[in-house]
Amino acid sequence: MTEVGPPESDPDALLQVRNLKKHFDNESGLLAGVELDDEFPFVSRSTSDVRAVDGVDFDIKEGETLGLVGESGCGKSTLARTVLRLLEPTEGSVYFQGEDLASLSGEPLRQMRKDMQMIFQDPQSSLDPRMKVGPIVEEPMKAHGMLDEEGREARAKELLEKVGLDPQHYNRYPHAFSGGQRQRVNLARALSVNPDFIVCDEPVSALDVSIQAQVLNTMEELQEEFDLTYLFIAHDLSVIRHISDRVAVMYLGNIVELADKEELFENPKHPYTRALLDAIPVPDPRSGGRTALLSGDVPSPIDPPSGCRFRTRCPKVIQPDEYDMSDDAWRNVVSFQRAVERRSFEETDPDALRRRFFDGATPGGDAGTLLDEALGHIERDEWEAAERILVERFADQSVCATSRPAYEIESEIGDGRHYSACHLRRDEAVATAVDEAAADGAARPGAGAPEADD
Amino acid sequence: MSEPLLSVRDLKTQFFTEDGTVRAVDGISFDVNEGEIVGLVGESGAGKSVATSSILRLVDSPGEIVGGEIEFKGETIFGLEESDDGELRPRDEMLTEEEMRKRIRGREIAIIFQDPMESLNPVFTVGGQLREFIEINRDLDAAEAKEEAIDMLREVGIPAPKERYDEYPHQFSGGMRQRVLIAMALACQPDLIIADEPTTALDVTVEGEILEMVKDLQEKYDTSFIWVTHDMSVVAEICDRVNVMYLGEIIEQAEVDDLFYDTKHPYTSALLDSMPRPDETVDELRPIKGVMPEAIDPPAGCRFHSRCPEAREVCREVHPEPRDLSEDGEALHTAACVKHDAFDVGYDASPPIDTEATGGFSAGFTETGGEAE
Repeated sequence: MTEVGPPESDPDALLQVRNLKKHFDNESGLLAGVELDDEFPFVSRSTSDVRAVDGVDFDIKEGETLGLVGESGCGKSTLARTVLRLLEPTEGSVYFQGEDLASLSGEPLRQMRKDMQMIFQDPQSSLDPRMKVGPIVEEPMKAHGMLDEEGREARAKELLEKVGLDPQHYNRYPHAFSGGQRQRVNLARALSVNPDFIVCDEPVSALDVSIQAQVLNTMEELQEEFDLTYLFIAHDLSVIRHISDRVAVMYLGNIVELADKEELFENPKHPYTRALLDAIPVPDPRSGGRTALLSGDVPSPIDPPSGCRFRTRCPKVIQPDEYDMSDDAWRNVVSFQRAVERRSFEETDPDALRRRFFDGATPGGDAGTLLDEALGHIERDEWEAAERILVERFADQSVCATSRPAYEIESEIGDGRHYSACHLRRDEAVATAVDEAAADGAARPGAGAPEADD
Repeated sequence: MSEPLLSVRDLKTQFFTEDGTVRAVDGISFDVNEGEIVGLVGESGAGKSVATSSILRLVDSPGEIVGGEIEFKGETIFGLEESDDGELRPRDEMLTEEEMRKRIRGREIAIIFQDPMESLNPVFTVGGQLREFIEINRDLDAAEAKEEAIDMLREVGIPAPKERYDEYPHQFSGGMRQRVLIAMALACQPDLIIADEPTTALDVTVEGEILEMVKDLQEKYDTSFIWVTHDMSVVAEICDRVNVMYLGEIIEQAEVDDLFYDTKHPYTSALLDSMPRPDETVDELRPIKGVMPEAIDPPAGCRFHSRCPEAREVCREVHPEPRDLSEDGEALHTAACVKHDAFDVGYDASPPIDTEATGGFSAGFTETGGEAE
């Protein structure tokens, strides 16, 4: 099979992001990370990085809108800023029109900025309250030495009209505008230098629904007129579904699924995407509400889970090969293990726990013995020992923990490529990029890593 | 049905500013029955939050409740009468400030705000704040209150409540903090909880969990809720009855199913139409044209007429009061729109007017331009 380009490698793409990483120092200062030991040399230094973006690949084609969706804290905004090189990437490359932004700096980088613009979430704080709207829109042109003063004013007025404002408002201050109108000013400013690519970081989430629709429509019209390419970040899947051509779903610094919009919404192939879709409320009282909600919190990006990052909350974690439990029994083990880890119950009696967690399907064999051991620890109030057994012998043995998934599968709708980072797809994959080395420390060699099937 | 738990009649709250009088809430009436979740929906600036603060009499200068009546369990939270010299003065049976503070707020009517970080004090432990609240409001001693606080944390699904009792708000995630506030609101087992956009700042997954929990707790404690939100999806999910607000007025009031399937006011339909749908791809959104006008100078006649796609000449002249439009045997469904026959002001004969809504895209928008705000 050809090179596995997760999710795709198109040389004609406007923007290509390859293995992009952005880590932040968790602590700073002279004594950051220094800890005292009781053995020689008595001090040790450990650094714990926050891995906000951790190995992301994607392409954006000219003229398309790539939607980027994920819960808060998953690294969407950091990714956007790193792509524009507002933040320096820790690793990886960003090719924009063939040039690697990650290696640029100084004046060449500043020149490139003319072609890439950004729109921020809060229309209030991204406009200087002491500047009039006209000069705000002219500012980027000034910075890039475009046109003369008169030309800039004419262009600013023209742009104000294009985004649906009155050119007469050239001399007003931002406070005289409503939230939706301020976001239009932001649009006009971004457009002023005639960019090819605009990163929109939650541009409508601070607006009322009725205004949201107006701004989204304007953005679509402008895209057509100026042939713009958008990277559109939002946490609202309804908005993403409306505006995107392709959608990337992000979880804890990784992209877990990327496909054409229709394919992703109608045929999601990652349990996290599924869970997100199930969690969207539908504006319809007869829809029966949301189903199958995710439980638990997003793990810390300082010490993310090995293998698939979603595995600690995934409802479909794969059973380790060494056990032979029924599906129900395995699900019960998983929910019990998570409950113990989270300390979400206070019961210690083994029989009561069995009734509560293993009603109907109790694992037998080795798994059963291990479970008895864990229950015994809980009875003696040794929670940590119980947790250790459950995590090390069950959760960490799963293929989801031992290798990082990356599969490309066939799309059912349309002919776009469909990338899904889930081991459940290993049998239907047309290409894989499973990298066992990526499975961090917890991996045990040879523990059920899948083979590339070609 | 028995007496409603809370009844608001013709409530008017105004803010006296240098630029003039802002009529933030302008004559709204609604009831909350026992064990019911009542929605209060509208865009920002519609007056939702002022309405809820008025119910608790928390409106501060330059704002003032200038008219109307608020009855809660047979007691008068607010009411005016005319004195002999023609001046309006508070009625004798109206609760005093001290009674409000000691008996009503927190104990009988609790409120949950949008931003959980701002509602919790960052320098005290979560448990300590909850305990203090219970201690003061329920006359328990410190040890009992702590016991109760831990129970409440467990009740709202905080894992390992004993350990987390001693943690600080910043150690909790956004969803957890909101759970703590819900625990605080429930701690005194109030009859009514006002929830002011409690899930707006949360992720959908977390929002779903919180709404599930609220539904369960509501059943268990039989508490009534006023749920303030701008999100029609949340309304669809959680509310029994809904009040839709526009520019200080309630323009439609119905049971949740009727509101979505038998919409009677053009504003409500426009609001529903303007939302992108998660379950299907919509090619073009139909936004509501223009922006909400200022409450300082509301349009004459129907306040929505400047943005209404169905506006006619008569809408500019007649200001409709909400009327019951339900048929016999149906649940109450009121709407304030003269297009319904019940109003009988000659809507059908009236010529359509040119509004922003009927004009082109940018034309309508630029007209209101900078006048907003």
